[in-house]
Amino acid sequence: MNITKKQSAFLIIAGIILPLLCLTHLFSGQISIESQDFFDALFNYNDKSMSQKIVRELRIPRMVMALIAGAGLSLSGLLMQTLFNNPLAGPFVLGINSGASLFVAFSIMTGIPLLNSGLGIIPSALIGAFVFGIIILFFSAFVRSHISLLLVGLMLGSFTSAIVFIIQSASSSEELKSFTMWAMGSLQKTELSQLPIICLLFVTGVIGSMLLIKPLNTLVIGEDEAKLLGINHKTVRLLIISITALLTGLITALCGPIAFVGLAIPNLVRIVIKTQNHFTLILASILTGGAFILVCDILIQLLESSIHIPINALTSLVGAPFVVLIVLKRLA
Amino acid sequence: MIEFNKTAIGFKSTPLVLIDSLKLDKGQLYILIGKNGSGKSTLLNAIVGIQDLLSGSILIDKKNIQSVSRRVLSKKISLVKPTFPQTDYLTVREFISLGRSPYTNALGRLRKTDNDIISKSLEILNITSLGNKFTSELSDGERQLVSIAKAIAQDTSVILLDEPTAFLDYSNKLLLHQTLKRIAKETNKCIILSSHDLELSIDTACDFLAINTKTSELTTLNSPVSKQDLLDIAFDSKI
Repeated sequence: MNITKKQSAFLIIAGIILPLLCLTHLFSGQISIESQDFFDALFNYNDKSMSQKIVRELRIPRMVMALIAGAGLSLSGLLMQTLFNNPLAGPFVLGINSGASLFVAFSIMTGIPLLNSGLGIIPSALIGAFVFGIIILFFSAFVRSHISLLLVGLMLGSFTSAIVFIIQSASSSEELKSFTMWAMGSLQKTELSQLPIICLLFVTGVIGSMLLIKPLNTLVIGEDEAKLLGINHKTVRLLIISITALLTGLITALCGPIAFVGLAIPNLVRIVIKTQNHFTLILASILTGGAFILVCDILIQLLESSIHIPINALTSLVGAPFVVLIVLKRLA
Repeated sequence: MIEFNKTAIGFKSTPLVLIDSLKLDKGQLYILIGKNGSGKSTLLNAIVGIQDLLSGSILIDKKNIQSVSRRVLSKKISLVKPTFPQTDYLTVREFISLGRSPYTNALGRLRKTDNDIISKSLEILNITSLGNKFTSELSDGERQLVSIAKAIAQDTSVILLDEPTAFLDYSNKLLLHQTLKRIAKETNKCIILSSHDLELSIDTACDFLAINTKTSELTTLNSPVSKQDLLDIAFDSKI
């Protein structure tokens, strides 16, 4: 599949805007910081300097998390939309987030030794996301209609939140507090020391998706057609779900549930660059998704002095109307 | 080329098509006829390996299709389905290029030979001008031609077409019959096309595969075939 001039222009422009947004993000916030301090924080760190400390412990982790959350969720959404051949699929609507939430709830609030032992939040979220990915994959084999699968995903979500409520009512106030803090969602809880492993997992997900470009491109015309073209669909399905679970689980564990990015961004990208070539779609979704959350978080920081908006609320405010627009456009 | 051995095809306990022993040859175009619901699509799906057999076996190039991997099978056999995928933003050329998937590397990169084959399959069906259109903008008839072009690009020794002419106008139906017949002969392929166009198929001197309406047996009838014979066997009617 060829890349048109318009598509490469989109990628180049997005590729230029994204680093600029990263820089803007680093410099936004209540306390203004000199560029010299940024430079020193990275290459000549002095832990006595307050500014440098802020850069290392707050600004950089928050920027990287915003970037990875946006990019990772968009990529997950794209993969799920292609896998289920359903433009309204995404990690949130299909309940992958719920899986992560449920297992995090188990891990924080129950005494089940396997789940609240040294594992911590990240592995619990990864396992939860994967388990729910498999569940939705199982249902997708039986429900043929797009809408039915979405309904199954939503029911999975409701069912899960019911269980979470029950767990919550049975847990101590301390556990409850730490779970609620997590569930509110924030880009600020990541520490510098966690970044290498987070980046490694993210890059694994991206490279994994890149290796699946050919099966993804054939899945666009349906699973049966892909089979006839020699694609081993069972393996491919499992790989796609694993990558989605890895990215969604990771991001949900660190930032809490973030809605609509995975659903809205890949659709936006497809509408703008008009292609089904997944090489272009993957790159464009990563760049646009990253840019979207960076912009959201810059906005949040701008408004911080007067009102505190959780990231999940802002993405829903923007994402939900956009998804309605897509639905209306499809019906028209 | 294709061999059937005591093959029974259908759903659960109700067999639709029975084939005791049959060999289909290279270089031939077969027209598959049968009543609605007689199992034409099911038979084609079984040959391509996406429908399990009730019993018996189907061999392609002496190999049991059930034991050949999908990747190998996709280079030997292609199927044009009666439905066209609802997909936005996929150009005709990109759609047809997916037919080259069995031959491209892990990243799906098209080589020059692949691109030449894609161009040629567009040319054969006179649809080169559609190349840059999105498949969502095509008419039903154009979609059928595009699906067939994809199967031609897949370059398999067996091509199965499930009612590919339903939406085609008369001249395109004729063109398709003649083209498929020529492709079968020139490139030594075995092509099976399910169709309800009895007259046209008789006129273009095709061989027939008919699903017997009483016994569910699949029988071959070699050209020239009389319409009355076909009606008697496949439709059980005296018209």
